[in-house]
Amino acid sequence: MGGLVIASGGSGPVIPNFGGGSSNACERNNGLFCWHWFTQHWSSTFSPALVQHIVLVGIAVGIGFLIAFALALLAYRVRWLETPIAGISSLLYTIPSLALFQILVPFTGLTLLTAEIGLVSYTLLLLFRNIVTGLREVPQEVRDAARGMGLTPRQILLRIDLPLAIPAIFAGLRVATVTTISLATVAAIVGVNEGLGVPIFDAIQRVNFKTEFIAAAVLAIALAWVADLLLVVLQRLVAPWASRRRSSLVPRAVVHAIRGRHRPISAVREA
Amino acid sequence: MAGQETAEQRAESRQHRTAAPLEFRNVSKRYPGSDKPALKGLSFEVPAGDICVLVGPSGCGKTTAMRMVNRMIDITEGDILLDGESVRSRNPADLRRHIGYVIQQIGLFPHLSIRDNIATVPRLLGWDRRRIDARVAELLELISLPPETRQRYPAEVSGGQRQRVGVARALAADPPLMLMDEPFGAIDPITRERLQDEFLRLQQDIQKTIVFVTHDIDEAIKMGDRIAILREGGVLAQYDTPERILAQPADEFVARFVGLDRGLKRLSLSSLSDLSLEEASSVPDGTRPPGQTDPQRVVFVDDRGRPVGRLGADREPEPVGPIAQPDTSLRDALSLIMSDGNRPLVVVDADGAVGGLARIDVIAGALASGNGGAANGKRA
Repeated sequence: MGGLVIASGGSGPVIPNFGGGSSNACERNNGLFCWHWFTQHWSSTFSPALVQHIVLVGIAVGIGFLIAFALALLAYRVRWLETPIAGISSLLYTIPSLALFQILVPFTGLTLLTAEIGLVSYTLLLLFRNIVTGLREVPQEVRDAARGMGLTPRQILLRIDLPLAIPAIFAGLRVATVTTISLATVAAIVGVNEGLGVPIFDAIQRVNFKTEFIAAAVLAIALAWVADLLLVVLQRLVAPWASRRRSSLVPRAVVHAIRGRHRPISAVREA
Repeated sequence: MAGQETAEQRAESRQHRTAAPLEFRNVSKRYPGSDKPALKGLSFEVPAGDICVLVGPSGCGKTTAMRMVNRMIDITEGDILLDGESVRSRNPADLRRHIGYVIQQIGLFPHLSIRDNIATVPRLLGWDRRRIDARVAELLELISLPPETRQRYPAEVSGGQRQRVGVARALAADPPLMLMDEPFGAIDPITRERLQDEFLRLQQDIQKTIVFVTHDIDEAIKMGDRIAILREGGVLAQYDTPERILAQPADEFVARFVGLDRGLKRLSLSSLSDLSLEEASSVPDGTRPPGQTDPQRVVFVDDRGRPVGRLGADREPEPVGPIAQPDTSLRDALSLIMSDGNRPLVVVDADGAVGGLARIDVIAGALASGNGGAANGKRA
């Protein structure tokens, strides 16, 4: 982890000089969006922040997925474990993000680790629930046919249950990724100096410089949109059957994305 | 490893195109926590190549009995012998790979193509790609599906096609025994009848031993070489051929289960080809029939002998009315005669030429004389 930690402070000239120094009228008047300023600061501020943000989210969703996947397989095999695991991940999910980061800082400092612990814990509920739901919604007759033809329990899991859970798993991944991209900006507020949250927070806190604020926010939105699109494309590649189906033989991918328990807010189904 | 595979392949080729006899030997099933057994002392034998239908009201244990054969459900007492060998001595997964399995909801794998669905068991048995492809092609032809269907996903084919693929998948490794749990249960009546007929034709080719579960006595009579009727509590009420069950129900329960129309059901087991038909008096169309002939026997025919008209009671020509084929069941023939004013029914041969006449009393006589379930018993 140490290598990834980036010390706070000294992040370069983020805030422009508003005084009479600037020759650009837009910047002097704090215009809505100063394109010139944005391009000038792309490579020093926005590009690194964007990359950091992608790394931040990638690590969070990646680790979150591994943990949630392991827990989901466990809960699938040992049924009574589902409730306690879902309960704990719901609890984590309900802690306000600012508070969670604040709680972690005394232990882990203003580090990437702090941000990741928070972000990972928020992905767990979404991913865990979707993976378990995906596995459970494999039609009983499909599993019965598999067993009746002589597939072993392990073969049923690997060849039948998991492939059929892919649409639900991807639905969870998409919501978790988009959520994490937006949530990761909050980490900057408690002082973790990473990602697109830094320019947003600086712009708000110091001089409310609109261009910097809007640029970072738009980049975060664009990142979420592109990530979602990539996941859709990836799903089509790994589960081509799911987008070619005509009837609803396939488990419905239920996404639990609201901060409440057991409440599906949307049924995601690919056209 | 390689040695084992060849041994297995040899074993498979030995089984090729063969069926195995099946025997239930005093089989009982008791579920834990239940004081009543689900099945009690079930004993019967199914000769190799026969279709044995397990039928009975719900809760009679027919599906339980079927699922014990491939050890989907454990046997509490007694034994089931497949080809003389106890299924209890076999590894369950290996046993199942050598028994075809078809269920009502079919259970095709939605994420696999039709080809990969059919290839499931061959792949588990370690067949090479070329052998699998050849087998898939052979099976698609057997179930009359176009070869390009292989790349489709199950959701992209019709319900009837899915059902056939389910049967093909069960047949893929050429198992000596097939288990079929209400395979045509979830299909509309017209498609069901077509699939039943298709399956009976298929069975004439493949000659498998088949255990077939249904709750529908008509389907049991149509499909079964032998029928095992179970009553509530999992007791065998009667095990016999369809003809004998309809002609001599073992007790009140069986009589009620097969229904008051069991006489008519017996008629459905025979076809007009089982009767000796009365000769018709064929008269070329447009000419006058000889004056003294019984008008009911007169059939006007075209230049190729095909029926085009009949003679009415008033000795005037009238439309030909219903026409039957040799494979028309006696039950359907009876219905046609009765809807045509009890006139003898015109039966045509394979070329469509008049072959003879069937009278209502001859059909009734067939039932009375006990040859209602004639020789081969079933319509093909």
